[in-house]
Amino acid sequence: MERDNHCSFCSRAAVILGSDEKTRLCQDHLLEDLLRRVNDTIQTNNLIQPGDHIAVALSGGKDSTALILLLSSILKSRTDITVTAITIDEGITGYREETLQNAKNMVKILGINHYILSFAELFGKDLDHLLLGKTHRACTICGVLRRKALTVAARTIGATKIATGHNRDDEAQSVLMNVMRGDITRLVQDSREGSPGLFLPRIKPLSAIYEKELLIYLYVTGHYIELPECPYASTALRREIREIISLFRYKHPEACDGLIDFRDKVRNCNLLTPDPNTIQHCRICKEPCNGDICQACLILRPTIPKYQL
Amino acid sequence: MQIILPDKSSRIISKDNVPIREILLDLGFAPSGVIVIKNGSVVPDDLIAGDDDEIRIIKIAHGG
Repeated sequence: MERDNHCSFCSRAAVILGSDEKTRLCQDHLLEDLLRRVNDTIQTNNLIQPGDHIAVALSGGKDSTALILLLSSILKSRTDITVTAITIDEGITGYREETLQNAKNMVKILGINHYILSFAELFGKDLDHLLLGKTHRACTICGVLRRKALTVAARTIGATKIATGHNRDDEAQSVLMNVMRGDITRLVQDSREGSPGLFLPRIKPLSAIYEKELLIYLYVTGHYIELPECPYASTALRREIREIISLFRYKHPEACDGLIDFRDKVRNCNLLTPDPNTIQHCRICKEPCNGDICQACLILRPTIPKYQL
Repeated sequence: MQIILPDKSSRIISKDNVPIREILLDLGFAPSGVIVIKNGSVVPDDLIAGDDDEIRIIKIAHGG
């Protein structure tokens, strides 16, 4: 027999189950719930302060699109906060064109300033060319270079913080990946605070929201666009981890919360307090790093002369 | 019931009054990794689908 599909708070049809698997939410109450939880994340973790200039990393994919929509709504009355979208165009043929166009459309709708920086412009080559013969390391290479490009772009526009669209599933996957790699440094790393003169704070306002909630939000508000999957995504360890956690969550809905709770408890043990004296500056690009040469320059130096100092 | 898969291909399955979540699992989709459109509307995946229903499955895309 068909179950009653009314929203738990009104008479409209529900579009999603709450995380307790009992509450049912219509699209209006889903939006209200998302805004409340994103706002709670911002307030609880003191992610945004008066005077901040937030650089929103807007790839044009689902997470960053949802991020800029929700942040714009939450911050619309805050005249003391500036929001600028930054998009990194890695140069991925057959993929980036559509997401880049979606990013341009979003900023136009929202009336937000947009700064676009390409790998070709910053590094001298696009990702497709940088990956020739190395596609098995695509996500690692892209991740390192994209982080560097985001930092350069955020500094260029004078941002005080970078906001990324990492959701709760991403956070749980990162915990399991870092545990599997035995990488306790990354496991406990917390980029929310940044480091004056060294690293810009990176904030994740969507870290309490599941990716399914974001996709349904975009769908019911008319912002869902069927975008291609990155052609290099199949090489990622994250893809396998995502599938493991997704299937596990069906039987154990608390799986994501448990992983994130574990990370937070390890963080609170202060096992690895970073020593500011160990931070060096890359001898090629002068960016702060943990060694003589930063990870980005190590990737770029075999193929690009200006990184071969 | 007609199922439209994420790659836009479709298939007919002869099941009636079956939980959508069960259909997803039978087809190899984790419920947390997809959204379900039943007869044109997004629905929670604990609903039941009947023989006359059209179920579209959208997979959550990644990368970017």
